[in-house]
Amino acid sequence: MSSLLLKTLTKKEEIDRIIRDTIDEVLVLRFGRCTDTVCLQHDDILAKSVTDVSKFAKVALVDVDSEDVQVYVKYFDITWFPSTVFFFNAHHLKLDSGTADHTKWVGAFHIKQDFIDVVEAIYRGAMKGKMIVQCPVPPERIPKYQLLYKDV
Amino acid sequence: MATLEDSFLADLDELSDNEAEMDENDGDVGNEEEDVDMDMADLETLNYDDLDTVSKLQKSQRYIDIMQKVEEALGKDSDGAEKGTVLEDDPEYKLIVDCNQLSVDIENEIAIVHSFIRDKYKLKFQELESLVHHPIDYARVVKKIGNETDITLVDLGDLLPSAIIMGISVTSLTTKGSPLPEDVLQKVLGACDRALDLDSARKMVLDFVESKMGSIAPNLSAIVGSAVAAKLVGTAGGVSALAKMPACNVQVLGHKRKNLAGFSSTSQSRVGYIEQTEILQSTPPGLRARASRLVAAKSTLAARVDATRGDMSGINGKALREEIRKKIEKWQEPPPARQPKPLPVPDSEPKKRRGGRRLRKMKERYAVTDMRKMANRMRFGTPEESSLGDGLGEGYGMLGQAGSNRLRVSSVPSKLKLNAKVAKKLKERQYTGGATTSGLTSSLAFTPVQGIELCNPQQALGLGSGTQSTYFSESGTFSKLKKI
Repeated sequence: MSSLLLKTLTKKEEIDRIIRDTIDEVLVLRFGRCTDTVCLQHDDILAKSVTDVSKFAKVALVDVDSEDVQVYVKYFDITWFPSTVFFFNAHHLKLDSGTADHTKWVGAFHIKQDFIDVVEAIYRGAMKGKMIVQCPVPPERIPKYQLLYKDV
Repeated sequence: MATLEDSFLADLDELSDNEAEMDENDGDVGNEEEDVDMDMADLETLNYDDLDTVSKLQKSQRYIDIMQKVEEALGKDSDGAEKGTVLEDDPEYKLIVDCNQLSVDIENEIAIVHSFIRDKYKLKFQELESLVHHPIDYARVVKKIGNETDITLVDLGDLLPSAIIMGISVTSLTTKGSPLPEDVLQKVLGACDRALDLDSARKMVLDFVESKMGSIAPNLSAIVGSAVAAKLVGTAGGVSALAKMPACNVQVLGHKRKNLAGFSSTSQSRVGYIEQTEILQSTPPGLRARASRLVAAKSTLAARVDATRGDMSGINGKALREEIRKKIEKWQEPPPARQPKPLPVPDSEPKKRRGGRRLRKMKERYAVTDMRKMANRMRFGTPEESSLGDGLGEGYGMLGQAGSNRLRVSSVPSKLKLNAKVAKKLKERQYTGGATTSGLTSSLAFTPVQGIELCNPQQALGLGSGTQSTYFSESGTFSKLKKI
């Protein structure tokens, strides 16, 4: 329901445009389905923090079911929904949260403050010119998963 | 002794003389007082005899004339008001002015009659005066009670609120009054009738003025209503008089002063007749003070317009009233809703570094101590001592070197902000007082070159032999050491 407040992108051009047009702001792209329960929880937190973070971040949702978007799904190797990818000035920023995959945030955030902390860390790192930042969320609140690569 | 006795007697005589003199003086004063008393007594005897000597107004010619005119004018309907350039020329206006003056006079008269009634009735029921304040109510109550001893038989229900009636019945049981003699009672009742007559006359005059107020001062009546306008003009003594008053005075015209002893007047709201206006009655009590100020200000403006007869149609007054209404409505608006504020951009606001004494004291705890400074420096040409000996371990620098007079550097306490001279004295005293220095401290320094070196420990501290002047000293002590 709260995803009504956030922009949902379905086409490739839209995604391209939004990545290009967000200048000096962190762009948060959530890849997922709006019907999934975990996605709903995640979206809820995103929607609640959008105003707080509005001065230095922008949030958008990408619906993973449309065909256009499959290119990006494959590019970012998104298998679990929701997955969140962070951009700054068209650069893709990596987040070291102690998990195997640094390129994105997998799963939902537990509390609103976690999300805001992550966005802030990304912003600070990006302003300093870093491409990878440390995740400020304590490990008990980071969703754990196992990364399988070709069944390895 | 005889002379002593005589002198005593003489003293006594003097005293008695003094007393005689004082008696005379008292007599004089007494006479004066008696005179005054006579006057008062005259008044009182006058009072006792005839109400008319006190309350002359009703019999006066002026009163009768004006009342006649008022009755006439009330009877006929006046023609449309002429737009004279000066208000004062209008004959009707003259009548209004006279009526105003008369109403004030009638009020004074009522007060006099009231005190008359009160003085007489005190013998019967003293406390009634403090229970019922308003003179007309008092007169009515007195008339109703008459010479009754039992108040419960008297029905005061329509005259007073029930709380006061209860108070009256309770106090009547304990009153020390006695019923009045017949003639006094008649006088009292006559006075009550007089008071009520005056009151009704006043009401008539005010009604007349009120009805004419629309033509006399249309703008003022447009704002405050004709009744209050009439009262204001009456109390002020004319429209021009009202116009000349500052607005703050207009606000308190007609304010009933109920300052009982000991009560502060800051808790009272200083509003007079303005309080009775429709505008103020309809504002919530929290805004009444502000509203009364506003209404007083605008009504003063309207009165000024009316005094010069600039606008006879009352448009100005209506516009002012509209303005007042709008302002009061604006005050009652709820405040705008709070928007949720977004977080500030990280690192956009520079950190505010704080300074001051507290920070400096904090920094002192981590500052480099003198001992460490001494250890950091070295003397030229001489190898320094070290903790493990022979160049190994930590170097001691200037500590323990010959000529420095210190084997053990005493710890200097934190740099308290003592005056430099005071600090030196403290150190001197500490050194010479000496009871607290440990027994192991030595003023001797063992050096390889000179052997035992005897030196003045105070010299090291820069205190000299105590007799040297600090200004010209060779060691060149600075009285103030500032960290750069």
